[in-house]
Amino acid sequence: MSEAYAHDTALVTEGSTSYDRLVDGAIALSIVAFATTLLALVELVPLGTAGATLGNYFLTLFVAVSGGVGLTAGASWANVVSVTSQRVRGVAGGLLVATGGLTAVAYLTTVTLATLLGFVLIGQALIIGGAGISSRLDIIDTEPDASAGLLAGGAFAVIGAAIGGALGGTVIGFDSIAWLVFPIVVGVGLAVLTIVPREDLGSTIPVGLVVGTLGVVVATAAIGVGWQWNPETLDGGFTGGVVIPLFAAFGALISAWAAAKCRAGFGAPGREYGAFLIINLNALLMVVTMVSIVLFVLTRGATYATRGLTTSALTLLVLLVPLLALATEFARSRVGGGEWNRTVRLVTQIAPLATLGAVAAVITTVLITGNPIEYGFNYQILQNRNLIPRETAITITPNPEVGAVILAVVASVMWIALFRNYGSLRNVGAAFPRAESVRQLVPVAVAGMAALIGGVLLVGPTPAGVPLGSVVGVGVVAAGTLAAVGLAALPVAGVATTNGSIADRTQASAPLFTLGVFGGLAVLTAALLLQPVTGHTPGIAGVDLVAVGALFATLACGLAAGVSAYARRTTTETLQDRLLGEETILGLTGAAGFIALLGLHVLATGSGFTVLGVSVTTEGTLSWPMILQPYIPLGAEPGGIMPAVVGTVWLVIGATLFAVPLGIGAAVFLTEYAEQGRFTAVVEIATNALWSTPSIVFGLFGAAFIIPRLGGNESLLAGMLVLGFMLLPLVLITSRESIKAVPDEYRDASAALGVSQWETIKSVVLPAAMPGVITGGILGIGRIAGETAPLILVLGSTLNATESVNVLQGFQFVAEPPFIINDQLLAASASLPTQVWAVIAAGVSGSPQMGWASAAILLSVVLTFYAIGITARTYFRRKLNYE
Amino acid sequence: MSETDITPDTGSTATTTTAGESDEQARDAWTEYRAAGETKLSVEDINVWYGDDHALKDVSMDIPEESVTALIGPSGCGKSTFLRCLNRMNDRIKAARVEGSVEVGGTEIYHPDANLVELRKRIGMVFQSPNPFPKSIRENISYGPRKHGEIEKGLLARLFGRDDTEAEAELVERALKQAALWDEVNDRLDDNALGLSGGQQQRLCIARCLAVDPDVILMDEPASALDPIATSKIEDLVEELAKEYTVVIVTHNMQQAARISDQTAVFLTGGELIEYDDTEKIFENPESQRVEDYITGKFG
Repeated sequence: MSEAYAHDTALVTEGSTSYDRLVDGAIALSIVAFATTLLALVELVPLGTAGATLGNYFLTLFVAVSGGVGLTAGASWANVVSVTSQRVRGVAGGLLVATGGLTAVAYLTTVTLATLLGFVLIGQALIIGGAGISSRLDIIDTEPDASAGLLAGGAFAVIGAAIGGALGGTVIGFDSIAWLVFPIVVGVGLAVLTIVPREDLGSTIPVGLVVGTLGVVVATAAIGVGWQWNPETLDGGFTGGVVIPLFAAFGALISAWAAAKCRAGFGAPGREYGAFLIINLNALLMVVTMVSIVLFVLTRGATYATRGLTTSALTLLVLLVPLLALATEFARSRVGGGEWNRTVRLVTQIAPLATLGAVAAVITTVLITGNPIEYGFNYQILQNRNLIPRETAITITPNPEVGAVILAVVASVMWIALFRNYGSLRNVGAAFPRAESVRQLVPVAVAGMAALIGGVLLVGPTPAGVPLGSVVGVGVVAAGTLAAVGLAALPVAGVATTNGSIADRTQASAPLFTLGVFGGLAVLTAALLLQPVTGHTPGIAGVDLVAVGALFATLACGLAAGVSAYARRTTTETLQDRLLGEETILGLTGAAGFIALLGLHVLATGSGFTVLGVSVTTEGTLSWPMILQPYIPLGAEPGGIMPAVVGTVWLVIGATLFAVPLGIGAAVFLTEYAEQGRFTAVVEIATNALWSTPSIVFGLFGAAFIIPRLGGNESLLAGMLVLGFMLLPLVLITSRESIKAVPDEYRDASAALGVSQWETIKSVVLPAAMPGVITGGILGIGRIAGETAPLILVLGSTLNATESVNVLQGFQFVAEPPFIINDQLLAASASLPTQVWAVIAAGVSGSPQMGWASAAILLSVVLTFYAIGITARTYFRRKLNYE
Repeated sequence: MSETDITPDTGSTATTTTAGESDEQARDAWTEYRAAGETKLSVEDINVWYGDDHALKDVSMDIPEESVTALIGPSGCGKSTFLRCLNRMNDRIKAARVEGSVEVGGTEIYHPDANLVELRKRIGMVFQSPNPFPKSIRENISYGPRKHGEIEKGLLARLFGRDDTEAEAELVERALKQAALWDEVNDRLDDNALGLSGGQQQRLCIARCLAVDPDVILMDEPASALDPIATSKIEDLVEELAKEYTVVIVTHNMQQAARISDQTAVFLTGGELIEYDDTEKIFENPESQRVEDYITGKFG
C-alpha cells in the first residue's frame, strides 16, 4: 500500500467539494430512509400512505430536523458552540435537503411511501455508482486500497446468491434444479466484482447494482404493497408489507456504508467512517424497535385503559408539584461549558419546566373559570358476544378538592426530598437564650403526649372516673396545636424582632428556623396522633383544631421561606447566600411537612376538611375505572382490573423480598469467604443452570412441591416463592460479578486498619458494589413481573377478579405458633400477565380492547418497576461518586 | 555469607556528617534510642513461601523506635514480602506460608492467639498506590476509629445519648494536620476522596492510618506512583512522622532511602537480607561487595 503515501495529501482538508456534499446527501438520505422503513414496519406510517398524509409525515420529520439543525447552526453561528466538522455539516445539510425534498415530492405527486422508497433506493444507487466511477477515473482525489477485501467480497457473494435465488425462482420456478444456476452465477459475479477491481469500484459498483435492483423491484411495484408469496413448503407467507421495509432498510444500510466510504476517500479512513455509520444505524434500530413496541401496545390499549378517567383540577395540580420541583431542579443543574451541544442542552433543560408550567397554567384556568376539560372518545365492550361501542371521556373537573391520600403522599415525598437537600444550620446565627429553653421543652412535650396516648390506649379514656381522654386529652391536643403554630411562627417572628438588614436578620434567626420547623412538626405530629385516641374527631367545639393549626403552620413556614428567599436576593456574600438558601429550603421543608400532616390528619380522623371552599376529602377525587375498580360482572360498565394490578405488585414485592437478600448473601459468601475451588465452581454451574431453566419448569416445581406444603391451594405466596426462585440466580450472578469488580485495594486498606472482614464487606465492599447489584435486580424484576407460565400453574389466577388481595390487612396475630398468620397470602390472586394471556390467547370474556389495555397496563407496571430500580441505581452511583 | 543476625553498627554514626539540621537532630535522637536499646520490632529467622517459591529466607533484624528504616533492593527481592510480615498482611494471601518470629515491643505477633485487630491498629500500613475508599475525606479518616467503636454517631448513637461529631471533627483535623493535608482540604471535607490528586490521596491514606493511632507505620513504596513534587512532600512527611512513630519504608529509589532513612536494609535476589546498617554506612562504605555494586548501579 505504499502508493498511499506517494500522494501529496494535505493533513487537513478544509472546505468541501460538491462531490462531498452529494455523498453527504446520500448518507443523509440513507438515515431518513432507514428510520422511515422501521416506522413502516410497525405500521406507524403504513406503506400505502400517499399524498397529503405522507406529506404530513415528512413535513413533521422536516420540521424536527430543521429545528435541531437550525438551533445548532444558530448556536454555531453565534459562536456559542463550534460545529466545524465538514462531515457533520454536510450530513446535517443533507438531512434538511432530503426531508425537504421528500416532503415536496409527497405533496406534489400521488406516489405511495413504498414507491417513494423504491425511487430513493434507485437514487442512492446512482449517486454511489457515480461516486465510485468518478474516483476510478481520478476525477476526484481519493486514496483507495487495491481491493475492497475478502470480507466485503464474501458478504456480497451471500447477498448475490440471495438475489439470484429469488430471480431464478421467479424466472424458471423452483421445480427444476436449474434455478440453482442463478444464485451461483450472481453470487460469484458480485464477489468477483467486489474483490478484483480497485477498492473505489469494488465497494461501490456491487452496492449500486444491489440497491438499484431492490429499488427497481420496489418502485415498479413488482413487489407492491399487496404482493404476497406463500411458498408451499411453509405454512406462512411473506407480504409486501414486511418485505418492502426490509428491502428498503437493508438497501439504506449498505448504501450508507458505501456512501460513507466514498465520503472519507476509501482506504483506512473510509473503512472507519463506514463502520461508524453502520454501528450508529444499528443503535438507531434498537431504539426505534423499543419505542415502536411500547407505542404499538400503548396506542392499542390506551382508549380502553383510560376510559372514564376523571380527576379534579386541584388533584392534578398537587400531583404536578413533585414533577415541577424535579423540572426546576433539572433546569437549574449546570451545563458543562465548552461542549459542542451546550445550547441544545440548555434548551432541553428548560423545556420540561416550560411544558409543565404550561400544563399547570391550563389546569389552573379550569379551577378559575369552572369549565371542565373533556376529551371524548369511544371504546368497545363485549356483551352477549357482541362488541358494543360506548362513549366515554377523560375529564378534568373544576372541583377544588384533593384526596387526603394523594395530598399526604405527595407532601411526604416533597418533605423527604427537601429535607435531604437541607444541610445543617446547627451552629449558624445568634443564640437566643429563651429559644434554647424552648428547645429543651420540645422533647419533653412530645414524650408527655406519647405517654398520654399510651395511657389512654392502656387504661381507657375514663379510668376511675377521671376524664383522661375527653378533658385532659382534648386540652393537650389544643395546647399542642397552639404550641406547634407558635413554634412554626418563630422564624418569621425572629426576623421581625431583630435589627439590621433583612439578610443579616434572617441569618441571625437561623436557630429559630431549625427549632420552629422541626419542633413544630414534632409537636403537631404528637397532637395529631393524640386526637383520634381521645375520641374527639373531627373537632373541638366545631373547629377542626389540628387541621386549622396545620394550615396556619404551613402558611408561617411558607412565609419564612419567602422571607429568606427575598433576603437571599439582597445579599452579595457567597457564604450568606448559601446559608439563606438553606433557610429557604428549610422553610419549604416545614411547609411540606405541615401539609403532609394535614393530609394524614384527614386520613386518621376519616373526616374531610374544608376551608375557603378548598376541600381535603377522604376519597373520590380521582376516578380511573380500569385501574381503580375490580371487574363488574353483568354490569352496564365492565369495571377494571385492579385485582390483577394489586396481585402483580404484591408478586413482585414478595419475590424481591425473598430473592434479593438471599442472592446477595450467597454472593457475599461465595466471593468473600469461600475458597475459590471445586465448590464455588459447582455453585456457579448450578446458578447458571437455574437461570436458564425454562419458566414452566419452575411452575411445575411450584405446583408439585410448594403448593402441597402451603395448604394445598394455589396461592399468592406460592407465586411469590416461584418467582423468587426464578429471580434468585440472576441476583446471585450479577451481585457476584459486581462484588468481584470491587478493587482488592479497598479490602487491603480496610484490613490494614484492623477492621474485620464482615465490617469491611458491610461498609466498603457492598456500597461500592451496590449499583451493579441493583442493575441485576432491575433486570430480574423486569423478567418476573411479566412472567406468565408458572403463574398459570401456581397462582390460581382468577380471571376478571372482582376482589383484590388485601395482604396488609390479612396479617393477624394469634396466640400460638406461628403467631402471625395471613390468609390473604394463602389465597388465590389475579395477576396482569395471566389476565392478558386469558383475554387474548385463550379468548375468555372481555373485548380484544380489554386485552390490549391490560397489556398496556402490564407494560406500564413493568416500566414503573424499572424506573424505581434505575432511580435507586442512580442514587447509589451518585452517592458513590459524590455528584 | 552469614547475614542471619545483622544489627546496626553503633560506631559508624559518630564519624559521619549530616547535611541538614533536622537530619542532625534525628540522628542524635536515633543514636540516643539505640544506645538505650529500645527495639520496636524484633524479627527473627523469618521465612516466607508462596506455594513452593521460597520468597524470604532466614531474615532477622531489629528495628529501633521512632526512626525511619528503609528497605531497598531490586524488584522481586522480598522487601515488600518482609514488610507485609510485620503486620501479618501476608495472612490475606492464601498461598503464603510464614515461619519465624516477629516481636512488637516484646509480644510475639505470630502467636496463634494474637489479636489481629489490635495488631493492625498498632501497626498501620500505607500502600504503593493510593487507595482511599470511595467515601468523603472525612469518612475516610474516621473510618478506622468508627469501625473500632471509638467514634459513635448517627441516629442510633444519638438515641443512646452519645454523639461524637465533635470528637470526629477533632480527630479528622488532627490526622489531616499530621499528614500535612489540612490546609489543602479543610474546606471540602465532605467531597469524594477520589477527587483528590494522587499525592493528596496518598497523604490522605497516611492520615487515615494515623487516625487509628498506630505505633508503627509500614509504607510500601508510598511515592512510586507520584510525581516529583508529591514525592518530596511525602518524604518531608515521613521525616516529620519519624519524630513520633516508627516508620518502615520500602523503596526502590536509593536516593530516597539515603535522604530520609536512619538505617537501611538491603535485600538482594532470592529473598535474602544482605546488609542492614546505618544509612550512611550502607551508602558510603558497605561491608558487602554485592551491596556496593547494587548501590553504585553495577547490578540490579
